[in-house]
Amino acid sequence: MKIGLFFAIMAGRLVAFASRVSGRKGSSLPGVIAGKIYYRCLRDLAGQVREGIILVTGTNGKTTTNNMIAGILEKARFKVVANFEGANMVSGVTTSFIKKAGLFGKIDCDYAVIEVDEASVPRVMKELKPEVIVITNFFRDQLDRYWEIEKIVGVIRDSLNKYGYATLVLNADDPLVAQFGQITRLPAVFYGIGRHEQTTDTNTRIREAKFCPFCGAALAYDFFHYGQLGNYRCTGCSFKRPEPGVEAMGTAVSDRITCRIVYANGPEVPLTMQTMGIYNLYNALAAFATGLHLGIDTGIILNGLNSYQPVTGRMEKFVHQGKQVFLILVKNPTGFNEGLSALFLNREKKDVFIAINDNDADGKDVSWLWDVDFEIVGNGHESFRRFICTGRRGEEMAVRLKYAGVPRDKIAVNPDLKQAVRKVLEGGNGQSYLFSTYTALWEVHGILKTMVAGGIKHD
Amino acid sequence: MIKICHLYPDLLNLYGDRGNIIAFQQRCRWRNIPVEVHEVGIGDVLYFDHFDFLFLGGGSDREQNLIVADLMQRRNELKEAIEKGLVLLAICGGYQLLGKYYLTREGENIPGLGILDFYTRAGDRRLVGNVAVETNLGGETVILTGFENHSGQTYLGSIQPLGKVRSGNGNNGEDGWEGARYKNVFCSYLHGPLLPKNARLTDHLIFLVLKRRNRQELLKPLDNTFEDRACRVMLGRMGLV
Ligand SMILES: [Zn+2]
Repeated sequence: MKIGLFFAIMAGRLVAFASRVSGRKGSSLPGVIAGKIYYRCLRDLAGQVREGIILVTGTNGKTTTNNMIAGILEKARFKVVANFEGANMVSGVTTSFIKKAGLFGKIDCDYAVIEVDEASVPRVMKELKPEVIVITNFFRDQLDRYWEIEKIVGVIRDSLNKYGYATLVLNADDPLVAQFGQITRLPAVFYGIGRHEQTTDTNTRIREAKFCPFCGAALAYDFFHYGQLGNYRCTGCSFKRPEPGVEAMGTAVSDRITCRIVYANGPEVPLTMQTMGIYNLYNALAAFATGLHLGIDTGIILNGLNSYQPVTGRMEKFVHQGKQVFLILVKNPTGFNEGLSALFLNREKKDVFIAINDNDADGKDVSWLWDVDFEIVGNGHESFRRFICTGRRGEEMAVRLKYAGVPRDKIAVNPDLKQAVRKVLEGGNGQSYLFSTYTALWEVHGILKTMVAGGIKHD
Repeated sequence: MIKICHLYPDLLNLYGDRGNIIAFQQRCRWRNIPVEVHEVGIGDVLYFDHFDFLFLGGGSDREQNLIVADLMQRRNELKEAIEKGLVLLAICGGYQLLGKYYLTREGENIPGLGILDFYTRAGDRRLVGNVAVETNLGGETVILTGFENHSGQTYLGSIQPLGKVRSGNGNNGEDGWEGARYKNVFCSYLHGPLLPKNARLTDHLIFLVLKRRNRQELLKPLDNTFEDRACRVMLGRMGLV
């Protein structure tokens, strides 16, 4: 028993306990404290994982993918450590291990499934040795911290090449991710989505990866799913979308998603997901591919995916006096656009709440709001009753909606989160959609929950 | 018909730049002034004389290098148009391109278009954060707010700044100036983006466009409640109101 580890864990647990008592979400504080007391804390804890560590990174879908993989492994009766709360920097990862460790530093665990913030990949990989590394996608996110995707790609590439051991699970449809099959020496398996009824042939809103990462020539697309995700090939060299080992075919999207999953060495299987948004299918495919690679039976994998419950803010659904209420975390233009497209899946009259904060974890620069296509709400504003803007930058959000063509009298700014939530739930019929950036999410979630006690029921 | 030229929208599109185009366009539309936007890319035909308002945004370093070559070929026509009073807004990278050169950290001198008298050199740290700038628009003192994020530090020669930094870094974090101004050209490191929240600047640009066409009477006042509130919130946080 290492005495340093003992004190580190004890201190970490005390902090976790104290912050729980005081009602704060101290999700990474224990790790910060423990790491200060004993710098090898994470390395010692992670070193005890018996079967392997799975690391999930990328811009969007990390949390969902991570939870899906953990769900599959638990269905396969493995003992799993995962950072469920989206605490994805070194201290948050450390916290997740501390919570599972005995006071003497013993962890009883087969797999660790860890989502890691893109910029933290090198630091985390110094401490633990993953078996599998999943990369979901790359979009511009929080530009004041991560000002160029190329830089992030370079940082992760260097870190993987320095390490040189692991299998990559890569999104074939994202050229920025797929290139990792060539820029690293690691073996890779790919997942992707085939052409379906909602794919488009053109995409004027493509923002990243218009050019080949290898030769700089333009990429030509057969079809797009969203953003730069689709079937592409380089017009200048041989770089193209890799053949996916796991691919969704015949995808249909309504208020749920259905498709057939085709994969190597097995019969195709049907998948139904009780969720909107094609991005969730990518997360499921990443989890499916990871499960296959780990040798888990496809029946168990599907079982795990079927029992997946969306976590806070990933289209989480509530019901308030017969009115459907959805809570959606937004952090970048692509995710916000996907969320907005859900507003047009049915003809119900809608109330919309948007909370924009600009704390560190949200990104201090809110200029990304101008890259979100609010114009679709402006053009279709007849189906909306009102927009309530709140958060530290609620006024800024109101300006954005005004310039998107939403009539002024449908826009209200209310800095008081509680009042704003109450307002958006008013009126018995229709649906309410609550969009929130990260640091407002927990508070909004908490307010919704207390209103559950006062009449709202979880669906 | 007011014609807006959005230069290289597919390459220079960092930080919500298109918000500036949206704002200019909408504030014309709300006044029933007909307006259209032309997106001009690398190698496209472009006659600066056809346009009333030109917008040049910011891009990543690589994207910027791609367009320098293209812009160099149009350099003389652009300079002539600017001398004749073309209304132009250049942000971040677009701003730097108009200057004499960019000095990299390795000491390499990358020539700019050399149309305006300033230069930029790579700084040791990125200048990031909220900014407030005091400027003068048509005789009225106005405080603009926005967000800056740049590693290049710009030093002005014989050219006016856009304004005085009241909070934040501005051109270089040293001399207290932000942006640059020459005839009807406005340059700034502020995105945020600049025009939507700072309605007075947008209207000033529209005013300059209309003045060139002798149509100032079209500039009717609009309700700026949301825009002003958004600015005031930031000014309050920077301790300026
Ligand atoms: Zn190529």
